[in-house]
Amino acid sequence: MTDTATPVVRASGLTKTYGSFTAIDGIDLSFEENRIYGLLGRNGAGKTTIMQLLTGQIFPDGGRLEVFGREPAEHVDVLSRICFIAESQKYPDSFKPKHVLESAPLFFPHWSQGLADELIDEFRLPLNRPIKKLSRGQLSAVGVIVGLASRAPLTFFDEPYLGLDAVARTTFYDRLLTDYAEHPRTIVLSTHLIDEVSNLLEHIVLVDQGRILIDRDADEVRGSATTVAGTRDAVESFVAGREVIGRDGIGGLASVTFMGALDALQRREAHELGLELAPVSLQQLIVHLTGADLSAEKEVVS
Amino acid sequence: MTTATVPLASSAPSRADRIRRVVRLHLAAPSVFIGIPWLIVGIAFAVSVAIASIITVSGSDTSGMGYSWAVLSPQWYLVAVGVQAVGMTFPFALGFGVTRRDFWIGTSVLFTLLSIANAAAFTILVQLEKVTDHWWTGTYMFDTLWYGAGPWYHDFFSTFALQMFVFFIGAAATTLYMRWRVMGVLMAGVVFVALFLGAGLVVGLMGAWADVWTWMATFTVPGIFAAVLVAALLCAVGGYFVIRRATPRS
Repeated sequence: MTDTATPVVRASGLTKTYGSFTAIDGIDLSFEENRIYGLLGRNGAGKTTIMQLLTGQIFPDGGRLEVFGREPAEHVDVLSRICFIAESQKYPDSFKPKHVLESAPLFFPHWSQGLADELIDEFRLPLNRPIKKLSRGQLSAVGVIVGLASRAPLTFFDEPYLGLDAVARTTFYDRLLTDYAEHPRTIVLSTHLIDEVSNLLEHIVLVDQGRILIDRDADEVRGSATTVAGTRDAVESFVAGREVIGRDGIGGLASVTFMGALDALQRREAHELGLELAPVSLQQLIVHLTGADLSAEKEVVS
Repeated sequence: MTTATVPLASSAPSRADRIRRVVRLHLAAPSVFIGIPWLIVGIAFAVSVAIASIITVSGSDTSGMGYSWAVLSPQWYLVAVGVQAVGMTFPFALGFGVTRRDFWIGTSVLFTLLSIANAAAFTILVQLEKVTDHWWTGTYMFDTLWYGAGPWYHDFFSTFALQMFVFFIGAAATTLYMRWRVMGVLMAGVVFVALFLGAGLVVGLMGAWADVWTWMATFTVPGIFAAVLVAALLCAVGGYFVIRRATPRS
C-alpha cells in the first residue's frame, strides 16, 4: 500500500551556515516511513536547525534535501504532511491555546479532535489563558497536543518535555506510543533526556557540532558498548586493545566503557577477574561520545 | 481501531482552501483585526461627542471640529496589526505547514477584504453623520477632513486606499525584518530617505520648488489616494518577493 523503498527524508551533504558559523556541516540522512527517530545531541548541536531544514522553515546552503520526494520549502504537497511545533515556537500575541487548537484542524487533514480533547484534559491545559502567560510546561503541552493530534505523516517534536512534570512526560510518552501503534507515522523527536525516551526510539541520530556521530538502530546502539568496573589493574588489562570511549576512576577503582559487546567466554573471563559488567545506557554512551554530560540539562526539566 | 497506514498519496488542498485557511488563521482571535480597531473608533466617537457637548454648552459653534483627526484614529493601530501579521502569525503559520506564498496571498486577501469592509463602514458613517445633522449633537467625527466633501465614492475609495496602505506598509516592512533582520529594515530606511533627499536635491538644483508647490496644489482627493493605493500595491508586491525567502527567528 505504501512505498517503503522511498524514504520519507533523504539528505546528502546538507549544509547550513550562518555567516562564518557552520551550523550543519554536510550531513547525510535517511528517514524511513513509520518509524520513531531520536535526534539527540547537546544544546547547539544543530538538532533544531536540522528540523527547520527538513520542514522548509529555513533554506539549506548546500547539499541535497528531499522530503516526500522533493525539496520541502514552499511545496504544499510536502508541507501539508508535516507538523513541526518548535521548542521556541512563536504564537500571535493575541492567541490563547484554544485559538491554536481551533485553527490546527484546518491545516492537518488527519487531525483527531477526540485525541486533542483527551490530551487537553490530561495535561490540564488552560484553554483560555493568553499564550504569553502560560508556564513553560503548559507551552510545551500546546506543542505536544498539536503534534500528537495532528497525526501528520511526518511529525516533529522539538524538546517536547521542557517544563513538563514527570506525570505529564509519562502521559506524553504513553500517548505517543499508543497513538503511533494505531496510526503509524514518521516521528522525529529531539531530546536531551535520552534514557527517558530510549524505549520509544527505534532509530538514533546523534548530532554534535553540526555533524552526525551516530546514525543507527537504537537496539544496535544500546548493545554497541560495554562498561566494566573493578580494580584498576584488572580493568586495564581486560580492556587492553579495545576501543575505549570513556574512563572513570577513584583511587584503585576504575570503570571503563568500550565499544562492542562481550561474548559468553569474555563474560566469564571478566567475572573471574572480579569485574562487574554493565550495558551502557544510551545516555552514558552519548555522554561518552560527545564528551560532556547531557544530564546537566535535566535541571531545566524538573 | 483502525491500523491503516497514513496514506502517502493524500492530495494537497486546493489553492482556494489554502488561502481561506490562512484568512481564518488570522481571524482565529478576531479582536486584533476587528474588535480593537472598532473599539478605538467607539472611544474616539465618545470623546468627540463629549467635546461637541462641551463646545455646545459653552455656546460656541462645533463646525471647527471638521478638522478633527478622530476619524483616522484606528489607522495607527492597524499599522501594528500589519506588523504582527508577519512578525508573529507568519512564524506560527510555517509550523502548520503553510507555504510563504500562500501565507502572503492569504494575508493580502484578508487585508483587501477588511479594507473594503472598513471603507464601506466609514462611507456609511459619513452619510449617517450628515443625515442625522451630526448625531443631533453637532459632533463632527466622520464628516471631517476630506470626508463628506465630495461624492460618497470618494470617501469609499480614500478609506480603502488608506487601509490598504497601513496594512501593507506594516506587513511589508516586517518581511524585510523576517528576511534580513534589523540590517534589512535599516537599509530600507536609508534607501528610502536617500531617495527622498535625492529628489529634493534634484528639484532644488533645477530651481523648481515653485513648480512643485503649484503642481501639488492641483492634487485632488482621488488623485492623492490613487497614489496611496499604488504605494500599498507596491508594498504588497515587494512583500511577496521578500517573504518568499524569509525565515523565522530561531
